[in-house]
Amino acid sequence: MAEDLVLDTAIRDWVLIPLSVVMVLIGILRYFVSKLMRSFQVPDPKIVKEGQVIVRARNLRGAANFIPPKSFRSRRVYFSNEENGLLFVPKGQAQNAQAQMFSDPNMAMDMMKKNLSMIIPQTLTFAWVNFFFSGFVAAKIPFPLTQRFRSMLQNGIDLSTVDVSYVSSRSWYFLNLFGLRGLFSLILGEENAMDDTQRMMQMGGFGFDPSKSLTAEKDGLDIVQHEWALPKFEHRAEAVLKKLVS
Amino acid sequence: MAGQGDSSSSEKKSKEVMNDVSTFRAENLQNNMKVVYYSRTFLSIIGGAIAGILGLTGFMGFILYFIVMAITSIGLIAKAKFSLHSYFDCWNRIILDGFLGGLMSFVLFWTLAYDIVHIF
Repeated sequence: MAEDLVLDTAIRDWVLIPLSVVMVLIGILRYFVSKLMRSFQVPDPKIVKEGQVIVRARNLRGAANFIPPKSFRSRRVYFSNEENGLLFVPKGQAQNAQAQMFSDPNMAMDMMKKNLSMIIPQTLTFAWVNFFFSGFVAAKIPFPLTQRFRSMLQNGIDLSTVDVSYVSSRSWYFLNLFGLRGLFSLILGEENAMDDTQRMMQMGGFGFDPSKSLTAEKDGLDIVQHEWALPKFEHRAEAVLKKLVS
Repeated sequence: MAGQGDSSSSEKKSKEVMNDVSTFRAENLQNNMKVVYYSRTFLSIIGGAIAGILGLTGFMGFILYFIVMAITSIGLIAKAKFSLHSYFDCWNRIILDGFLGGLMSFVLFWTLAYDIVHIF
């Protein structure tokens, strides 16, 4: 089954290249539209404060070995003290923050807008491809695939004897969809490319951020074993200087 | 492409102080990872176009992909002047990181170039 079909040059001119160009342009358009539509949210001072406290606690945890034991302990008490420690959140308050985040209309609108701006261009383009470009062989994939992929890749083509490598334009659309992600991340500058999968994962874990991470930080801080690394530095400095002198 | 030349020249030193407890500045490490990612993506696109124009099919094309990835790794390691530990925290990051991510772009441009040149 290795006969080489000869395909019309017009297919290349009017299907492959326009489809790729259209997808690139739609991606760029979507990026700029989402940039324009991003509503500016006035940051809530309480949330910002909590975020900064978390950053400080994390720094303390990371660099704990560079400060003397006593000052580390006093800092730790400052953070996790039962009465007025910064990281200690009473149970009732924790639930509250969560509920508030979900019923906040602004945030819900933002999430909806972001989701929609991802889904609508994809759906429209897919419908357009199906309507115009169905029923003929569009491209040949350079590597062989098994027969199981036939139904997936050759959707508009009704001949069952054609080699599985010859695919319809629907599969060309999907190939473009995945392959252009890399291109977008190069031309649109970091990360603002088609990271729809990342966005969806982010949406899920968004509401819990402040209250749970405070307790998480507090636990992490309690666990840290302090081991002061600085006394060793004198020996190291001595060794290095000796090597320099001798 | 502007990214290739001057992004690899901005790899920064990650380690601040040479000590047993090796520390890394997170933002520099992230920047280095980004450089690795961009280099791999760019080279996988170019590699795909090369594979298509040369008319490679099947296995040969994937072998070319691995060769291009290996050349990327060697190039990045050479740029880091072979002292990998002052820029990255472990070997895996520079060798295995964007491996599969570049595969889709590679296949897309491979198919595109192959079809344009050979079938039509």
